[in-house]
Parts: sequence; C-alpha cells; structure tokens
Amino acid sequence: MSDEAPRILVVDDELGMREGCRKVLASEGYEVQTAQDGLAALEFYTKPGDFAGALIDLKMPRMGGIELIERIREYDEDAVLLVITAYATIQTAVEATKLGADGYVPKPFTPDELLVPLRSNLEKRALSIETRTLREEREKRLLELSFERSKSRTIIDCMTDGVLVVNRDRQIVLRNDAATRIVSDCAYAPALAAPLTALECAPLREFLEEVLDAGSAPAIVSKEIALGKYVYMVNASRVVEPNGEILGAVTVLRDITALKKLETAKSMFVSMVAHEVKNPLAAIEGYLNVILSGLAGEDPHRDRQMMRRALVRARTLRTMISELLNLTALETGNFVMKRSPVDLDEIVAEAVESCREEATKKEIELSFKCNGEIEQVLADRKAMLSVCINLIDNAIKYTHDKGHVGVRVDRDSLYAKVTVCDDGIGMTEEEKGKAFEEFFRAKNQYTASVPGTGLGLSLVKHLVDMHQGRVTVETSPGKGSSFTVYLPVLDYARGT
Amino acid sequence: MTREAPVIMLVDDDLDFLEINRHVLEARGYRILCFSDPEKALEGLALEKPDLVITDLMMNRLDSGFSLSQRIKDDSRFGDIPVVIVTAIGSRRGFDLSPRTPEDFAAMHAEAYFEKPLEPEALLAKVEEIVERRVEEGLT
Repeated sequence: MSDEAPRILVVDDELGMREGCRKVLASEGYEVQTAQDGLAALEFYTKPGDFAGALIDLKMPRMGGIELIERIREYDEDAVLLVITAYATIQTAVEATKLGADGYVPKPFTPDELLVPLRSNLEKRALSIETRTLREEREKRLLELSFERSKSRTIIDCMTDGVLVVNRDRQIVLRNDAATRIVSDCAYAPALAAPLTALECAPLREFLEEVLDAGSAPAIVSKEIALGKYVYMVNASRVVEPNGEILGAVTVLRDITALKKLETAKSMFVSMVAHEVKNPLAAIEGYLNVILSGLAGEDPHRDRQMMRRALVRARTLRTMISELLNLTALETGNFVMKRSPVDLDEIVAEAVESCREEATKKEIELSFKCNGEIEQVLADRKAMLSVCINLIDNAIKYTHDKGHVGVRVDRDSLYAKVTVCDDGIGMTEEEKGKAFEEFFRAKNQYTASVPGTGLGLSLVKHLVDMHQGRVTVETSPGKGSSFTVYLPVLDYARGT
Repeated sequence: MTREAPVIMLVDDDLDFLEINRHVLEARGYRILCFSDPEKALEGLALEKPDLVITDLMMNRLDSGFSLSQRIKDDSRFGDIPVVIVTAIGSRRGFDLSPRTPEDFAAMHAEAYFEKPLEPEALLAKVEEIVERRVEEGLT
C-alpha cells in the first residue's frame, strides 16, 4: 500500500479548484483523479480502497458533497474524506463531519493548509488499516490455532494406539481415549496431572519410571507388557532437552494380543506338524530297523509284511505333506482357484466312481442319488472334486465292512447340497467339535488301524469356504455321520 | 529260559509300533500283550498281570499315557509293575516332557523314557535290565 502513491479524488464543480488541487497534490507525489460532481466521482469507484482519500466540495450540481460523503462512507469506511468549502458553508461542513467526513479545509486555502490535514488523516487511515489487518490476522490465527489444537487432539484421541505423556514432575499430562481404556482395564484411570504413582498398572508404571530414570540410555525403549488379558507393545521415547535434561516421556501402547495369539498358534502348528510327521517316520524307521538288524529273527514272509506296512506309512506321510502344502497354499492365498460354471452332479458322480474300488474292498454299498436336475455352481472343478472325494473316502474309511455310504445331490433354496452319509463309527460330541481342526483325528480302537493325516476335513472346510459355501456335520457314535456341503447355485431364480 | 517267559504289555495307538516291538520282544522270548487303547489295557491288567508295561504317552488324550502309569501305580494289585514310556511327543506345545532327574521319572511313574523313533536295541537292553532286576528281587 505504501509502495504505491496514494490516490486522491478531487471533487469540485470549479475547474480551477480541481486543477489547483491536482497540481498541489501531484507535486507531493499523490496520484490525482478529478470529478466535477458527486455522480461523476462515484463512477471512478470500482471497489473500496480505490482512493485513499477524497477532497469534496459541498455545493455541486447533480450530487452534492453531503450525499457523496454518505455514499462513499457506506462503501469505504477507511477513505479520508476532507470537505473543501467556502466560509459561507462552514456550518454545513461541521454537519458533514458528523456524517462521516474526516475534516474540513475552508476555502481559500494555501497548499500547506490542505496538505497538513490530508497527510495526517492519511497516516491515521494507514494506521487504522494496519491495526485492523493485524487484528484480523491474529483472530484468524487464534481460530486456526484452536482448530489445530482440537484437530491434533481429535487425531490423538482417534488413534487405536494408546498415548500417554508424562512430564518431568512425573505427572500424567496427556492421555488419549485408547490409553484411558487400556489403563482402566487394569485399574481406574488417574486424572490428568495426577502423579505417575497413581497409575495402578504396576508393570506400566514401573516401566515408565525406569524410562525416566534411565539417564543416558537409548531414547526409545520398547517392552511387551501384559495388562489383564491383553498384551501391549509399549514404546516410550524420552523428551530430552539439548542440555540433556529429561522433560518427560511419550508412551505409545499398541495392542499386540492378536499377534501374540497368532504367534502361539503358529508355533503350536509347527510342533504339531513335527509330531505328526515324526510318528509315521518313526514307524517306518522301526520296521526297517527290525528287518535289517534281524532282532526279530529271520522270516522273509514276515519281513515282506513289515515292508508293506512301512510302505503304507510312507504313503500316508506323502499324502499328509501334499495336503499340508495345499492347506498352506489355501491359507496364504497362493492357491489359484479357477472358478467356472460346473455341474455339481457330474463332479460328485466322478468322485463316487473314484472311490468305488475302496468301497468294494470293504464290501461297502456305495450309492449315489441326484434329484434329476442339473445343479450348476461356480466352482473350481479340481477343488470341488477333492472336497467330494475327501468326504466319500472318509465315510468309507470310518464305516465297518459291509456298511453303507450314501451320496446325494439336491437343492435347498439358493444352495446346492452334497450330502455324504454313512452308518459307520460316528463321532462323539467332542470329536465333532474338533472334526475340522488340523491334525485332529478321532482316537479309538477302530481309527487306530485307519491310516489318515488329520488334514482331510480341514482342507474340505477351507475349500468350501473359498466357494462361499459351508459344510456341516451330523453324527452319533456308533450310528454314523452325515456331512453336508452347501454351495450357492448359479441360477438363483429357480430357488425362489 | 527254563522259567515261564516274562510277560510284557505294549500300549500304543500306533499299530505299527505294537507290531514292531512285538516282533523284537517275541524274538527274545518274551510273551507280549498288545493294546491300542489304554482303557482296554487297564482291563487287560486284571486278566493277566504283566512283568512290565511299555506305553505311549499321547493316545486318545495328550496325557493318557501318564494317567495309565498313574493308575497302575495307584492300584495296589499292579503298583509294582514297572512302566516304560515311549513317545513321539518329547517336546510339544512349548512343554518339554522329557524327564531328566530321578524326581521327574518318579513323577511320571516311569522306570525309563524313550523318544520315538528309538533303536530296538536300546529298548531291548532296558527291558532286559528291568526284567533281570525283578528276577533278582524275586518279584517274578
């Protein structure tokens, strides 16, 4: 503003006065615009602040000074409005001042008589504009600041991790919602500015005290802390001044309970696999050992029998490993499903046929029924085939010789249903609950002689889940089991 | 052996282990009783008292071998029968089951503890040691 020459509007119906003022003002470095009356003057205004000031005569044709002053004032409260007037109208000039003029200069005037009040009023104007701008900026900043503060607070409160800040006086000075929740899980949450000692979570309090006492130890310390039934990874960073003084500590508590559970589940699974692999291997090794050492005497016929048993165990082991790989592929998402519309009846029929030989060996009657309508589902053919074979094969395995295994395909509203039922050994309520768990095998006198991996049903469940289906089981010990796979059908319309 | 052959009871839900150990022990002149179910094995004890029981640990349940040895020890009729534990679950789910001190063995009610797979010679040696000791003690 101050870089540019202030613009002054001179409004007077006397050409001589207009030009006289222009010369005086221009020589002082002002930029001058002249107008012969109020209306002409208003036409030069495009926006408030166009002119720093105006020298206004009172008596003019069309629009006089009084009206012009009112109009400009409405429009621009900062403009310096000076009335230039003849003595005769001084009384009116005083009126004009009341209406918003900043002063008056009686005609005739010397250049200084004009310039002094103009300058001082312009300075006043500049000052008041600056003050206002500063005030507005300050208000804006304050607003932004309070917004920023509430924004940061909101962000901190929305964090799923707990945030706890302790100052050098060991007072809790900040605690977000998550931290409040975490802390009150093990005790009541102490109020803000409460001493650290009020924190009843002993492991957390001790850890924080340790961090604050640690002197020159690493600035960030992490520790796993169990609070109630949850486990937290607590990361504390000390706030240190350049001179080494510790101002406090910022602590972030992250719930890693699920992660810990996963870790435990994983190591349990690994040891389970190791165990399950060890058993058949130990049996194979045992047979070979007995045969090679001759510890059981020489009997070629018996040796051959042992080798056949070892072979069966080796095959079970191989099946287990490939099932395990399949299961891992399913779980890690590495298994690529190629889903296309397939006829479920046809897949089930194929599965039944591939199990026919096993059934015949045990003289089990294996029957297959479908409702005559083609049930189309969107499925990976290979996966579905292995689901069906697994279920039928299981049914045959756990059914006594000369028993019955029935396979059926039908429709249940929006689902196609494959049911495999047998009149075999069945399962207890406890076994039923665990049937789909990895490596679970019902242990009893009958199952001891049945080779199995304990992975078949978990594979079935995984594969069916991937097809947005579900698998259920009804069973009763000694009476048999019935497994049902539900898969969404393609033509929903027919089901409704 | 002029005396009657010592009787050994084998308990394992893995039929192949029963088979393997039966062959090895029978070749040494022992008479073998095989059970794949610990409950049935307990019933078997009442019918014929063996000189030694060799049992697996985890059968229907994780601790079914332990409870079998416990029940043998707790029964006045069978309390003197030595038990040998043979298992594939040496360490599982973070618990190391293998006994190290005499107290551990006592807690398990076991004379000896083997992990599968095991050398038949090792088992044989242990069995012979136990049976001979019992003969000396005049228990058989």
